[in-house]
Amino acid sequence: MSFFSFQLFRNQRVTPFTDPTARFEAGRFGMWLLIATLAVIFASTLMAYVFVRLSPNNIGNWPPPHMPPLPQALLLSTIFLIASSGTMHVATLAARRGEPGVGVWMVATLCLGCAFLGVQTYAWIDAMRDNMAFTKHLYAWTFYVLTVLHALHVIGGLLPMLVTTRNAVRGLYGPERLAGITYCGMYWHFLDAAWIVLYATLLWGSTR
Amino acid sequence: MTTLDATRPLDTRPSADNYLTHSRGVLSWILTLDHKRIGVMYLVSVLASFLLGGVFALLVRTKLLFPGEVSWMSAEAYNHFFTLHGAVMVFLVIIPSIPAALGNFVLPIMLGAKDVAFPRLNLASYWLWLLGATCVVLSLLMGSFDTGWTFYTPYSTTTRFGGVVPVVTGAFILGFSSIFTGMNFIVTVHKLRPPGMTWFRMPLFLWALYSTALIQILATPVLAITLSLLAVERIFHIGIFDPAWGGDPVLFQHFFWFYSHPAVYIMIVPGMGIISEIISVHAHRHIFGYRFIAFSSIAIAFFSFLVWGHHMYTSGQSGLMNVVFSAITFSVAIPSAIKVFNWLATLYKGSISLTTPMLYALAFLFLFTIGGLTGLYLGTLNTDIHLHDTYFVVAHFHYVMMGSALIAMIGGMHHWWPKMTGRMYSEFWGRIGCTLVFIGFNLTFFTQFMLGSQGMPRRYYSYDQLPGMAEAFKTYHHISTGGSYIMALGFVITAIYLIHSLYRGKPAPANPWGGRSLEWQCPSPPPHDNFKVTPRVGDCYDFSVVRWDEASNGYIVDRSLDPELNPNAPKRKGHH
Ligand SMILES: [Cu+2]
Repeated sequence: MSFFSFQLFRNQRVTPFTDPTARFEAGRFGMWLLIATLAVIFASTLMAYVFVRLSPNNIGNWPPPHMPPLPQALLLSTIFLIASSGTMHVATLAARRGEPGVGVWMVATLCLGCAFLGVQTYAWIDAMRDNMAFTKHLYAWTFYVLTVLHALHVIGGLLPMLVTTRNAVRGLYGPERLAGITYCGMYWHFLDAAWIVLYATLLWGSTR
Repeated sequence: MTTLDATRPLDTRPSADNYLTHSRGVLSWILTLDHKRIGVMYLVSVLASFLLGGVFALLVRTKLLFPGEVSWMSAEAYNHFFTLHGAVMVFLVIIPSIPAALGNFVLPIMLGAKDVAFPRLNLASYWLWLLGATCVVLSLLMGSFDTGWTFYTPYSTTTRFGGVVPVVTGAFILGFSSIFTGMNFIVTVHKLRPPGMTWFRMPLFLWALYSTALIQILATPVLAITLSLLAVERIFHIGIFDPAWGGDPVLFQHFFWFYSHPAVYIMIVPGMGIISEIISVHAHRHIFGYRFIAFSSIAIAFFSFLVWGHHMYTSGQSGLMNVVFSAITFSVAIPSAIKVFNWLATLYKGSISLTTPMLYALAFLFLFTIGGLTGLYLGTLNTDIHLHDTYFVVAHFHYVMMGSALIAMIGGMHHWWPKMTGRMYSEFWGRIGCTLVFIGFNLTFFTQFMLGSQGMPRRYYSYDQLPGMAEAFKTYHHISTGGSYIMALGFVITAIYLIHSLYRGKPAPANPWGGRSLEWQCPSPPPHDNFKVTPRVGDCYDFSVVRWDEASNGYIVDRSLDPELNPNAPKRKGHH
């Protein structure tokens, strides 16, 4: 009985659209709305950071004595992330034109994404070794909160990215089938843009 | 040929195979992707939470019968109860009540669509709601919380009660449930409108849901990040909200109200949409000032992002900011008033059927007017300094949140109940229930305007020490509590006749009220697919093509009379 019901679930209609193009358009629109939502999250967090940074207590005391400047490694991770956005774009273009190489470029994107996370982790460890403990000062606190918030979104993106890459390697994407890779790319470019704004704000904030 | 198809009456014969009977078993419900079933599950869950929040409210009101300490409820327990009442009612009841429960059911049918744009996301939203509700229950088990529903820091980061982190997690999850519903509705309205339905042909309920969805996706993320930062601060004892660490508690208030003021419109705007539907259908008259009502929904959504500071006049923000926020707050009165005037103009010379939904709509007009106008006193700087944190505020927002949003929701539930369940409820008991709720509500909350303006602070456990006022306050509190019992009786009666109707109610016709929009042109209850082919639509407020049909004991939309569907239709007087 319950097994029968589960079959029913699997057999349910998953979209009200009859036309695949209309469904794809709706999906892209939905992705834009999701990105808008996430952009609000990042914008409000950055706003909080600017507010704290400019509060009278912190002017002239940021970074506080005994606390290091931003880890240098962030520059490297920034390069990785921008590069991954580039490879993602090339992969999407290839799929749209029906050219080969979608899989290779997706694998490159996935690797660069993982490399970004690796360097971020290194940056956190480096900062902690450098006397930048999370609970010591708001300077450290805001650094970890902002970078971890972004990293969590990257981790959240890696799972769909994994599925997309697998599909790409199997050669499933082409001009006829673009949905998965397009949605994945939209999200990934957003993470890239969000990181650039975030990193720039941190750079501005950490100069006295 | 298209004309012929468009004018053919849609199939409204009840069928044994409808969305309720289409598949069976518990799993066929909890794993369903059908927007109608998801709407019904939301409705049941929201009503269960409403019962819970209502019991908390009655406990609080009962305590206030006694000015001093009572043995059966400590001050601590009292703080927990009013906090739980607020949190449950806001996050579990009012925010999801209209969009997620009624909206989910009605929106795709009004569009003639088979479902919302993303059915799986819709189910995910319901599951997130369940998860969020579980977190709230968990917080009760982990020591509960007494911060008030606003979670103001630094109190919420330092209170010894352990329920803060779970409930904040719950509100975070519920936020995403609400965001997903909003995303779904926006895309659905954009991409799935039927032929003939331009933006300005949409039923006004859809305009309201659309405006609400815009607020949901743009404001709720701020709550999510604020509550996350609060939880981090509470766990690690450092953060940006506690002055002890260089943070600023006013920053929390800014963030909280940047969400929570728009959230007020997440609650009320869909209610306004329901009222537009009920008033025009049950007065059998074309809605007056369609465009004004539609635009005012968008205007309210826009203004909602600019007025959060009116919750913080006494927080120490600068005088200039106070003045600016006060001025913008007044401007919100304009779109709200536009709606009220248009509803009144619709009623004027309408042929009003005093059905239960219409009684709720009239109650809404009365209560929303009081709630809206008393808001002006709170938006005015000098009066607010006096009224801030008194029962006047409690009365004001109950008139808006409960007297308007929730009453509209209950009215809408009665309006679409025959459609959802395929059964008619007892009109007699419906009117009695509505009347009791209306009388009880006013007894409960109108007295609180008096209490507040005379200085009774909100959230106080006892008032026997307040110099010279204890006796007067006691009388008011007695009336208020008495009213809450009457209201509770009204809701109990409502619950009884509605449940009774499920088993013994007369089968509902497809169109019991004389509605014109698409949901009244499909059977009650609707089939799994809503419509076999997406129907063409005309003006959904043109009731001249609606006529009574003795055979089905309901109304019929005569599509052949509609000049937009049939160019050869006879010209009628008064049609524009
Ligand atoms: Cu407000």
